[in-house]
Amino acid sequence: MDEIVFESVDKMFRHRPALFNWVGQERSGRTIALRDVSFATSKGQVVALLGPNGSGKTSTLKLISTMLLPDAGSVRVGGFDSRRDAGKVRRQVGIAVANERSFFPRLSARENLDFFATLDEVSRNERPLRIEEVLNDTGLEEQADTLVMKFSSGMYQRLGLARALVKRPNVLLLDEPTRSLDAAATTQLWETIRSLARRETTVLLATHNFAEAAALADRLLLLHRGELVADRSLRSGESAEDLRSLYFHLTGEIDGVQTLHRAGAAS
Amino acid sequence: MNSTLDKLGAILRRDFLTAIRHRSGFAVTLLGVFTELAAFYYLSRAIGPGFRPNGVEYFPFLLVGTGVYTFFVMSAQAFLTTVQEAQQTGTLEVLMTTSTAPAELVILSSISAFGGSLTNLAVYLVAGVTVFRAAIHANAFSCLVVLALSLVIALSLGIIAATFQVAFQKGSAMVWLMGSGLWFLSGTLFPVQSLPHPLSVLSRAIPLTYAIDGMRGALLEGRSVSEMAPTLAVLAAFGIILLPMALGGLSLSLRRARQFGTLSSY
Repeated sequence: MDEIVFESVDKMFRHRPALFNWVGQERSGRTIALRDVSFATSKGQVVALLGPNGSGKTSTLKLISTMLLPDAGSVRVGGFDSRRDAGKVRRQVGIAVANERSFFPRLSARENLDFFATLDEVSRNERPLRIEEVLNDTGLEEQADTLVMKFSSGMYQRLGLARALVKRPNVLLLDEPTRSLDAAATTQLWETIRSLARRETTVLLATHNFAEAAALADRLLLLHRGELVADRSLRSGESAEDLRSLYFHLTGEIDGVQTLHRAGAAS
Repeated sequence: MNSTLDKLGAILRRDFLTAIRHRSGFAVTLLGVFTELAAFYYLSRAIGPGFRPNGVEYFPFLLVGTGVYTFFVMSAQAFLTTVQEAQQTGTLEVLMTTSTAPAELVILSSISAFGGSLTNLAVYLVAGVTVFRAAIHANAFSCLVVLALSLVIALSLGIIAATFQVAFQKGSAMVWLMGSGLWFLSGTLFPVQSLPHPLSVLSRAIPLTYAIDGMRGALLEGRSVSEMAPTLAVLAAFGIILLPMALGGLSLSLRRARQFGTLSSY
């Protein structure tokens, strides 16, 4: 059975100007986040979601996690519909969001993880063990008892991943997981993701990093202005450069790096 | 059931640790209690012993009125602040992706917020009686019954404020409106019988009026549950109507926020 199924999903955000906004320039409007997007992933697959800013990557992750509901179409996780069986969907999904401040600042990393693990119904006996495990996996053992208000961006990001992992989800959603990480932490995270995939965890990874997508993913979904413009396997050893070319070709964006290279060569 | 208790324990622990790690906040709250009590004590002395609203001394009358009022408003405010902070930091979105149903999460969080206000009420009343010598004649069982029914209503009002916050990002306005209107109309500082007739009728439509009335009867006059049956029945009726309404409204507003992507809008 497919683990995640998107069927003709539409998602649009309406903007309304503030009430009594007589002097402002704000006008009402709408943003199409996703338009008729369909795909299905199988167990243990690592799927990279690529696309420019505003292409719908984060909306895709939020729809799977039930933070958002689709306007049309359906989202199913493990056979459960995100509208009708939101609770059952949430039990299977762990999400590491890009917002790194989504913790309780006056609790330590361990206390935060214990809090979220309790809400995720991890049993009392198992919690200390799992927390230790995810602290090790994310390299936060030494900061486990530090209040998170003292954390750096990278440490927040690692803690976000630890929080997503502590419930041992069947589906792991990662929104730019290495954005604030140093090289060593990035390598450690990649190894964690590979090991999760070997244990049949499906991973959806929204990223702007072609090297990361090439190193980890066995499938690529490319979004552009809310539409799925490519859905292809990456099992034949595509390089970061291959993904880069495909990305700029399909999105029509200007490749600044290539332009610089050409300008350098010409001069 | 075990899981729910476990979750309640986690929420209480989170809020307790956060509160004690804000050490100065703790001290300021305590100082605030004593300052307020001192102001009411000297106000009642200035007015003199001749003024005995509902047949009781004015300071105990004020002590119960302001204590119960503060409990209601502080509870709604504390709960609202929890929701607002969770929106601002993005924690609300993450909390909504845990295996805990949103309604369960909200109720458990509000219990914790109310725990703080209840502690504050206890400190306020005990300080009023021990430090400022307020004369009481308490019926403990009646006090507990009034408190339990008041809790249900305060919980509902807190959830309604949170609903306004999630749906329209205007929870603070609702608490402000509630706070300023209730202060005047619920008999906090003077008996509602002193109000002009239309306002006196309006005050009878406010649950806080009955909560204050009930607590004064139980704590200052030692009235039994059967003696206060009409007041308690009205309080229970408010609770039965308000709680399901508040939960339904919150559930709708959360669903709407998920649909429109406004869970973290503030």
